[in-house]
Amino acid sequence: MLYRPSRRQIIAGMAALGAVAGGRDAFAQAPKRVVIPEGEFTPQPIAIPNFVAGTPGDAEVGVGVAQVITNNLKRSGLFAPIDQAAFIERITNIDTAPQWQSWRQINATYLVTGRMTRQGDGRLKAEFRLWDVNQQQQLTGQQYFTSPEYWRRIAHIISDQIYERATGEKGYFDSRVVFVDETGSKERRVKRLALMDQDGANVRYLTRGSDLVLTPRFSPSTQEITYMEFGQGDPRVYLFNVETGQREIVGNFPGMSFSPRFSPDGQRIIMSLQQGGNSNLFVMDLRSKSTTRLTDTPAIDTSPSYSPDGSRICFESDRGGKPQIYVMAATGGGAQRISFGEGSYSTPVWSPRGDYIAFTKQGGGQFAIGIMKTDGSGERILTSGFHNEGPTFAPNGRVVMFFREPGGSGGPSLFTVDISGRNELRVPTPGFASDPAWSPLLS
Amino acid sequence: MKVKVDKTVMASVALHVCVLGWVMLSFSTKALEIPPEDSVPVDVIDSSQLAKVMAGTKTGKKENPKPLAEKVAEAKPVDDAVGKITEKPPVVTETAPPPQPKIEEKPVEKKPDPPKVVEKPKEEPKQEPKPVEKKPEPVKPDPIAEAIKKEEKKPPPKPVQAAKPPEPQKPRIVERHFDQSQIAALLDKRDPTRQAVANDTLNSNAALGLSKGTAADNSATWGSMFQRQVERCWKKPYGGIESQKPEVAFAIRLKRDGTLEGSPVPEGTPATPYLRVYQESALRAIIECQPYKLPANFYEEWKYFAPVFKEKV
Repeated sequence: MLYRPSRRQIIAGMAALGAVAGGRDAFAQAPKRVVIPEGEFTPQPIAIPNFVAGTPGDAEVGVGVAQVITNNLKRSGLFAPIDQAAFIERITNIDTAPQWQSWRQINATYLVTGRMTRQGDGRLKAEFRLWDVNQQQQLTGQQYFTSPEYWRRIAHIISDQIYERATGEKGYFDSRVVFVDETGSKERRVKRLALMDQDGANVRYLTRGSDLVLTPRFSPSTQEITYMEFGQGDPRVYLFNVETGQREIVGNFPGMSFSPRFSPDGQRIIMSLQQGGNSNLFVMDLRSKSTTRLTDTPAIDTSPSYSPDGSRICFESDRGGKPQIYVMAATGGGAQRISFGEGSYSTPVWSPRGDYIAFTKQGGGQFAIGIMKTDGSGERILTSGFHNEGPTFAPNGRVVMFFREPGGSGGPSLFTVDISGRNELRVPTPGFASDPAWSPLLS
Repeated sequence: MKVKVDKTVMASVALHVCVLGWVMLSFSTKALEIPPEDSVPVDVIDSSQLAKVMAGTKTGKKENPKPLAEKVAEAKPVDDAVGKITEKPPVVTETAPPPQPKIEEKPVEKKPDPPKVVEKPKEEPKQEPKPVEKKPEPVKPDPIAEAIKKEEKKPPPKPVQAAKPPEPQKPRIVERHFDQSQIAALLDKRDPTRQAVANDTLNSNAALGLSKGTAADNSATWGSMFQRQVERCWKKPYGGIESQKPEVAFAIRLKRDGTLEGSPVPEGTPATPYLRVYQESALRAIIECQPYKLPANFYEEWKYFAPVFKEKV
């Protein structure tokens, strides 16, 4: 119906406006508030068509990038990628706006379009746009240049961009995991250090497997790994450069040194050294090689982990009788016990976000992976079973990876779980795998 | 003896166990079913607040200068919104005294003329002296009466009736017939006395009281209806296990058909990336879920309001 105001109505409308200005009309008041508190978390539906090929030879990589992004977002549990078979519009040009109706019809909240183009100099150009289908606007868009062999890395970086824009959280896809690869029978197990992308792709072996390796840990700032290796004698802590393959022993202490971990700036390594029947925490500066003692107790203090700001340390100690988690200043001094539940707690690790400490909890014949706040409150068990151990946080602190041994003749494998306890997923590895450690974001 | 006592005790114990056991099993396993109901917010208020609540009542201060208007139309003077009781001619039913005398005189004539009424005295001798002038006053002839009259006049038997000597009782019995095909004639064809108050602008306020009086707050009713509808479209982003206490509000204007009149206006700019995502998801929900089905009689309340999306505490 066409509304054609008469002069009289216009005058009346102006009078009404005057009333608004005078503050006497209802419109001038604050509107009545209606609270909507019940919304449920829902994975966001996202459509990721294959990236457009800039040149005819780029079709394959365009499909591959879309698949990696789809897999990343799906595994995060926060997105529900829509099956490509449902798509109505075929994206052929990413520089024009998509046909909104055809994406709204398949209930997509987000749409990702992209293009892979081989440049004249041999590099690969990757472009993408993230669209809000409902608001009909672009939310973010980027372009990257890289060597063609690093196309997976580009896909992970784009995944992080999408994740960050659509959840408000930092991503974690452009990261790697170092772990202990296990092959052979249970009696003659060969353990090698291995490195892979967080999604299980690009596995590389870092050691040959002649010596037993344990507890690899990533440096938060450099491409270095520290780990423990049983050579001929006592176990030793080693430093390994991923890029160069160079390896060196960290300090030369009498007795065992174990459970090493980097400080947040990557300049120091904190570890425990055995002295007689007990062990204490020490920190060693990698440049000056100077060592500082942090604890001096007749108990076993081990598994130290820095808070992300480097001011505090959480560690495991049996000074109270059973292994429990304690927190103290990074310079040593009085420690405060934070774990008080049934059973014993071990392998504490501080989240990169600083808000939680993950741990392994043993009790009742079960091994559980859990998290608690840094003051010990809010304990939450994420998974429990015959043997779960070795939690490590994703760079954004939202996901925990750990290894699980099912018992029997099988071997361990890696799993991820959201810190809410949801979305437990197995991480594909070539063989058995244990002791994972998540790297920081690569970029 | 002892055995007997034991038996009764045993029987008593057994019975108690049975009854208690049955109670425990049957009562405890039965889930308490509560039909979903709208919550009604209850506030404890004192008398001064009550006075404010009642501000929009009949006895309130007469501050609102605009007259009530329920629909947009050419202004039509309506003296009273409540409806005016106008003087109207009495409704004539079939039991009313039939106008026999007239027919007797002139079967063709329709309108009662004063002279005829004067002739009426045959039937009602009492009224004759007083209202000779008053009776004819009903200038507007009652349509029903007319219709009835017409019907009566048409059928052929009329002449027969007319020929009969005027007997007050007998014709009445003849009149009390019910013709199904003529039901329409019985309809009250007068204008309704309660009319929609029309003006050139809408105004929901009756002429009395303050417009900001909260006496008619039905937001608990339509608010929960809106809430249920918008929640179906709300794909809330995952905010982690740590309660971030997000809260975003919009000001929205709805048309009568429940669709948005314009784009919802967010209140303030989100401080964190998560709040931005949260606000976007809420905005999507509001847009996707229209049109909203809300009670039309509260339109004045829900045509402009502020939905607030927040985390359950």
